[in-house]
Amino acid sequence: MSNNFFEIKNVDFKIGNKVKVKNVSFSIENEGDIICLLGPSGIGKTTILRTIAGLEKINKGSIQLKGKIISSEKNNVEPENRNVSLAFQENSLFPHYTVKKNIILGTERNKGLKDKKISFDELIDLLNIYQILDKYPHEISAGEAQRAALARSLITQPDLLLLDEPLSNVDQSFKEEIQEKLKKILKNSKITTIIVTHDSYEAFYLGSKCGIILDQELKQFDDPYNVYHLPNSIEVVNFLNRGILIPAEVTSPKSLENKDLGTITGNFVKPFPIGSNVKLLIQPEDLHHDDKSNLKFEVIDRKFRGTNFIYTLKTPTNTLIPVFVHSHHIHQHEVDEKFGVKRPIHIDHIVCF
Amino acid sequence: MKFNSWYISSFLISFIVLIPIITVFTSFFENTSNYYEILKNTFLIEYISNSFILLISVLFFTFLIGTGTAYLVSFYKFPGSEFFKWALILSFAVPPYIYAYSLTAFFENYGTAFTILKNLFGDGNYNKNIPKFDGMFGAILSISFSLYAYVYILARASFLYQSQNLIDLGKNLGFSKFKSFCKIILPAARPAIVAGLSLVAMETLAEFGAVDFFSINTLTTGIYNSWITFDDLAFANRVSFFLLLFIFSLFILENLSRRKAKYHFNSKGGFKQKEKIKIYGSEAYLAFIFCFLIFFISFLFPLSQMLYWTLKFPENLFDLPIINLVLNTLYLVILSSFVLIIFSLISNYGNRVSSNKTLNVLSTLSISGYAIPGVILAIAFITFIAWFDNSIIKSLGFNSIKKIFIGSILGLVLVYFVRFYSLAFNGIKSGYEKINISVDESAYLLGYSKRKTFMNIHIPFLRNSLLFIVILISLEIIRELPITLILRPFNFETFATTAYISASEDLLEAAAVPSLFLILIASLFIIITSKYILRENNE
Repeated sequence: MSNNFFEIKNVDFKIGNKVKVKNVSFSIENEGDIICLLGPSGIGKTTILRTIAGLEKINKGSIQLKGKIISSEKNNVEPENRNVSLAFQENSLFPHYTVKKNIILGTERNKGLKDKKISFDELIDLLNIYQILDKYPHEISAGEAQRAALARSLITQPDLLLLDEPLSNVDQSFKEEIQEKLKKILKNSKITTIIVTHDSYEAFYLGSKCGIILDQELKQFDDPYNVYHLPNSIEVVNFLNRGILIPAEVTSPKSLENKDLGTITGNFVKPFPIGSNVKLLIQPEDLHHDDKSNLKFEVIDRKFRGTNFIYTLKTPTNTLIPVFVHSHHIHQHEVDEKFGVKRPIHIDHIVCF
Repeated sequence: MKFNSWYISSFLISFIVLIPIITVFTSFFENTSNYYEILKNTFLIEYISNSFILLISVLFFTFLIGTGTAYLVSFYKFPGSEFFKWALILSFAVPPYIYAYSLTAFFENYGTAFTILKNLFGDGNYNKNIPKFDGMFGAILSISFSLYAYVYILARASFLYQSQNLIDLGKNLGFSKFKSFCKIILPAARPAIVAGLSLVAMETLAEFGAVDFFSINTLTTGIYNSWITFDDLAFANRVSFFLLLFIFSLFILENLSRRKAKYHFNSKGGFKQKEKIKIYGSEAYLAFIFCFLIFFISFLFPLSQMLYWTLKFPENLFDLPIINLVLNTLYLVILSSFVLIIFSLISNYGNRVSSNKTLNVLSTLSISGYAIPGVILAIAFITFIAWFDNSIIKSLGFNSIKKIFIGSILGLVLVYFVRFYSLAFNGIKSGYEKINISVDESAYLLGYSKRKTFMNIHIPFLRNSLLFIVILISLEIIRELPITLILRPFNFETFATTAYISASEDLLEAAAVPSLFLILIASLFIIITSKYILRENNE
């Protein structure tokens, strides 16, 4: 038995007889930690949550919560008997009760609990659902229904909270505010949470660890910084879609050579033999703009992202490279103009495949 | 596979309901008398073709009337639309055989129509100008105007739950009202309409009173005659077997035609309450005329005819033990509804939590009791009890159990249970289809056991569906004739049996009084319950 608060060991997650995600293992060390699972639609993220909640069974591996096995081939604690709460992505409010009654039903689960960490009023305030308390589920919007379901799950104060795309229907303008409040309340009340999302920004903000699920596997389980900057596979790079892979040749233990960019220095995350041909990950933040530089490329696209621009540059070998520039930069470059890249190029952590 | 107490209860309920149906099927292989050969060479084709014509015509009329009226009152505001939305259910209060008596009494030579014309215009030879609604057409009209409410109620419930988004989508695509109706509204309500038509089909094939009254030879009358005249139960069962196959074929055809199309979806909270469109001028006038005509023909007309006879022959009113008949009818209604609702709920929930294919098939088969004519069910029940008593009970040395089941309230309620199980089961099932499975799962995750989820989440949600089902069951039992006639305890009468006995003695005028009471009680029941349902829907 491990000392982890929650642990999944070698589990195949499946629906019926169809395996969705194979041989998954990860753990949550401490009570109150938040982890996020990222992956494309239909990959099996929801299946993982349903299985942890006890709604699907397993016949390989084990799931352990607070030192007790809750799912294994031989042992399956019924959903109602494991103190795990799941907020579904779709509207799962009881249709014949008002929003208020729906949320109050959640309090019944831990009626006897002396240490009430979250109050009804606090939650209503957090999720801004005052106006809909007396309405029925069919009278409210999808985003409101999602927030109401979230409130119902939170108020149960479970040992483990599972959130399936909790803010997918919430307005963008409201999303960040809720994310902040949600994180605060989960941390303050020490509710251990697993969040499933396809929004990497949401995952990186909320989770202390992130799992990337691709091709029926948990490809990477690490803290958000490492998932973003040190992806462990080409699939993860492609999924996060925040960089490109360019051909390069390793020229020393601290440098590479690319036909377009020239010499690139930095620290290799994983060593490669000198002379080997690799694919080097270039993320938008790795290159810096310098109007005075003689290394110039043609701008073929410019995306305005509020705080920054992402320029897409075309090299002589027709490689497209993204470059991040602060949006307050003194001037902007139009499409077809030349764009200078600062030399020498130094990347702190060099990721190659 | 999840073998829990819900699974076992559900399995047992379905199996018990299936016993008389199995009896019908096994009887198929028994020897029949010479009557079968005689019939096969003479009237069998006529029986089959008449049944087919009757079925298709009734389905056509009930679809037109039921869906048309449901569409008008669900989507439009026009003078009287608030009244019609519940008044149109009142036709349920008039069983086909009473409608047939009214139709004949009004249009026959020297009937009520003749009297009206004579009073208005003086003596004259009006009989040749008064149309005669008898024979096949009379039977079709009687059954259609009595049964269209099945389609109306289910289609309307479905229309009410349609989101405004659907309607707006039609407008956005540039559809006319008619095109929106055909391409969007009607397909979305298809499961409900088909469910209504299935009930109509089964009722039509099991109908005896009106068909017999108009002397139409159908499979049902064939079954009845083979039992009454030739005492050939095996042949009766054989014909019933064909009827069952016919019904199953209809179900299979409908299921195949649907393929994977989904006709309803679960709202993700984006449901937009529909706003009724106010119509004016000739459109409003036509909508009113259509609904009023249906209401008049289906309800006011037979009610007036029965009232007219009752007032014309008041002595029949004083001879009738009204309180006794009311109590008997209510006793049967309350007891049967209670039993049907409880067991259908358990069976449905067992199916839902077990998700077991065998159970699913068994449940589907068990609802076929509705397709078996009441006469056959009653006889199959007697046959089974007699066999069980002789082969098992007596061989074990116990006293005969025949008296407990035959000619007793218990036996009567049991056969009602088999006959009307599909009404209760399907009604609850369609209610359950509106509860997303994630609602159950949310309840489990809030710490609710299966029993608590059933009691605290499902039952309150299904309350309206249950009320609908209680109306349907009550009306069926109030109107039910053959089972009550065969299995009722000695001296235990209902309004239906009293009316039938009078009519069979050629005392149609005397049949009017119990018929009138039957209509009034059923109407009262419908009015109270429909008001409640409309209030619940915030209409």
